[in-house]
Amino acid sequence: MSPHPIELMALGQAFDMGCGPDGTPLIDPRLFDSAEFRRNPYPYYRIMRDHYPVFHDRLHNCYYVTRYEDITACYFDEVGFNTIPKGSSSGVLGNTQLELSGLEHRRRRNIYGRHLVGAALTKRLPSIERIAQDLIAEWFTAGSGKEAEVDPNSGTATIELGKAFANEFPISVVADVLGIPQDARAQFTWWYDAMMSGLGGSETHHDGLVARQDLEDYVEDLVAERRAAPTFLYDDEGNVVAMDIISELCHAEIDGDVMSTEEVTSNIALVVGGGGETTRGAIMNLWYLLLQHPDQWQAVQADSDLWQPAFHEMLRHSTSIGGQPRHNTFDVEMHGVHVPAGSLMHMVDVSANHDDRIFADPERFDIFRSDLYSEKILRSGHNKDGRYSHMAFGVGPHLCPGAWISHQEAVLGSQVLVGALPNVRINRERMPSDKVATNELAPIGLGAIRTLWLDFDTP
Amino acid sequence: MTVDGRRGFRSYEVYQRERVGETTNLVNPRDLIADDYLGDPFTVPGVLRENYPCFRDWVGNRFWLTRYDDVTSVFVDDANFETRPRMSAYGGSMSGHDLGAEPEVQQVLTRQIDAAIVPVLDRTLDSLPDGAAPVDLVSAVTDQLAHDLFAHAISTGRHCSELLELARIVRGGAGWNERDRVAGQAAFADLVKMLELVLAANKGAPERDMVAALAELGASAADAATTLVELDTETLPASLANLWCLLLTNKAQLDQVVAEPRLMKFAYLEALRHSPPTATTDRYAKHEVERFGRLLPQGALVHLSAAAANRDPRQFVDPDNFDVTRKDLCQREPRGQYRADGLPAPIVFGHGKPSVLPARPKESPRSRFALTLDIAVAASLAVLERFPAMQLAPDAPPSMRLDRLGGTYRCRDLLVNIS
Repeated sequence: MSPHPIELMALGQAFDMGCGPDGTPLIDPRLFDSAEFRRNPYPYYRIMRDHYPVFHDRLHNCYYVTRYEDITACYFDEVGFNTIPKGSSSGVLGNTQLELSGLEHRRRRNIYGRHLVGAALTKRLPSIERIAQDLIAEWFTAGSGKEAEVDPNSGTATIELGKAFANEFPISVVADVLGIPQDARAQFTWWYDAMMSGLGGSETHHDGLVARQDLEDYVEDLVAERRAAPTFLYDDEGNVVAMDIISELCHAEIDGDVMSTEEVTSNIALVVGGGGETTRGAIMNLWYLLLQHPDQWQAVQADSDLWQPAFHEMLRHSTSIGGQPRHNTFDVEMHGVHVPAGSLMHMVDVSANHDDRIFADPERFDIFRSDLYSEKILRSGHNKDGRYSHMAFGVGPHLCPGAWISHQEAVLGSQVLVGALPNVRINRERMPSDKVATNELAPIGLGAIRTLWLDFDTP
Repeated sequence: MTVDGRRGFRSYEVYQRERVGETTNLVNPRDLIADDYLGDPFTVPGVLRENYPCFRDWVGNRFWLTRYDDVTSVFVDDANFETRPRMSAYGGSMSGHDLGAEPEVQQVLTRQIDAAIVPVLDRTLDSLPDGAAPVDLVSAVTDQLAHDLFAHAISTGRHCSELLELARIVRGGAGWNERDRVAGQAAFADLVKMLELVLAANKGAPERDMVAALAELGASAADAATTLVELDTETLPASLANLWCLLLTNKAQLDQVVAEPRLMKFAYLEALRHSPPTATTDRYAKHEVERFGRLLPQGALVHLSAAAANRDPRQFVDPDNFDVTRKDLCQREPRGQYRADGLPAPIVFGHGKPSVLPARPKESPRSRFALTLDIAVAASLAVLERFPAMQLAPDAPPSMRLDRLGGTYRCRDLLVNIS
């Protein structure tokens, strides 16, 4: 069996995998392992939504749910579609609240969820902005390791946005809220990068476990210290906002019992992984997409309030998290497909975001679209007045607890960045090209871009 | 899971995290669906067996069991593990009841095959061409023999070949390949149509074949089609082909069998162990169960590698050797468990739960294992007697291969000189 029989196609076109007797296109499950699918997934998801809204992949022993309405219904039904671990993330992260449901999930989630929203977050916005400014200052500080390359003739400076900003910014914010000293910053990127790419038993699984162990070794003493003496977060005036997350995890009681050190470190790993890689990807994808749409880029520069809809449209168009696994608690029949209890059902958020039953012309990136809800992220989702929330953070009880802080980081960070990058443009020579249309920039595909080389003018 | 009272939720305190030293980086799970695996289902699962006895395959979303004791313990544990019928792979779009376990059906199958074996064997061997040209022992003898026997047992009337062929296509559609699934759906529809005619023609007729027995039981055409699809008609020809492939490529072993024909039965059992046609079998956890050092959640697919288990060095000395005088292999049909005389039997048929009956009643039909064993030994002895000087044709080394993932591991071309 050849693992990669699927050829690369022009973007937006699907490789012909054959047809049924009535002309229905078929899905070859080897597709999901192919480079073509990672690069150009949307035409295939369209086939699945239109013809196989619940697709049984018998090679990978799972089901894909691809329509917006179906995924929404499943996310809200946490009894019927549970989060019991079958290995999505617990192998690397350990037991976290991701795998719990109902009361047990809510109790744990609430321990730190409130640090990431509302007043606790608003009071800390100035410190988030300061972290961004500190990072940018390093571009012109010799020996910082993030220096911009400046061409003395033209005065053009070049940075790689990931290395210069996006890799460290979100995790510095998260480390602040967690209460991890900033001296561990050098390891942060490796921790979250390795752990997140090690999820799901990929080829990088081993690296993920090594990083997870390293993180544990680092926080072990910290957890012991915080158990004895909690530390706190402060606002700009020096007033206590709350305990930092690690202290909170150490002291929180559930059913009259504190959490084990193992559970505390697992949750720290979850916050480091979830809070780092996702927001890094969001910032990278946001800038990559905007800079390829000059009219929209001009509009955002003219009106900084537009960063908010731009952030949401980027997440709808190219979210870096593909979806969430669920397992059906009972035998179910969906769209004529019988799914035995305990099956792995992938809720494909990426496909829901491109469902043309919900979003018109979904492959188009348009920050002005009228069918996308672009305000504060709601656990209940939003689907009224012809506007729908995107599915990048999920909806329902397991809505990403970091959705709002991620939103603030990306928008605030971008607003700070704009001021530091006059006349910014993509350095196309250093960016990979598409494998088929070789004069075009490579598409984002599934996930997030790894590097983004930018040129800008120096005064 | 109760919804009321405990709110339907529970905590997962069972330790799921893996440690650095526990990673499974000696095996890339993609190697388990690679082309090389189809040609050699022993090497990579062998690495699993020696290093990761319950391997969490993230790509295929399944747990691999590869040690003999583990695999057989799942086969006999129907409190915790269930098998799913082949037809379930079609997602409930095609339905019917499998009546293959009905005593009437089993009895008629056994009776028909017993009655046909001698004439069918004679006819098959008589039809081989004389002369020096090489003969393909697989297509001309083993496959032909199995086809004729099953065709005779299933339907003595017309359509028997078509019925077998359609059932084969439906079975083939139960794998991962969507094209095969579409072909299988169409074949199932044809099978049902054809069986409507055949069943109607058999209504009230004496029970002369399986279809007549099904008609007598009041089976619908869909039930009859399902029964046909679930009927294993592939193990016999594949195991015979593998036996002869192994004998002809191990001249010393063949010579021993020629000198002492009673060894043929042992040679067949050893061939089943060495190169089992059913290289892997699936079972599903009925509910959450902690086994093999892991938590297997409800619905987990447990992928049992008979290929690896049959070559488990914990059970067999020099397991990769084909040895017809092997002393560590059970040499009779085990009744419901995998060991008789304290020796492990080859894993080829799932025996299920051990029977509580002290002995099989005389009038009950023989097990499928016993029936297959009898046919294979009788056929092989007849071939040996008729063509004692048979040799492999030069320049055509035979090989075995899985026809698809989860399919049959077998030799397909075995060119021999019979004169």
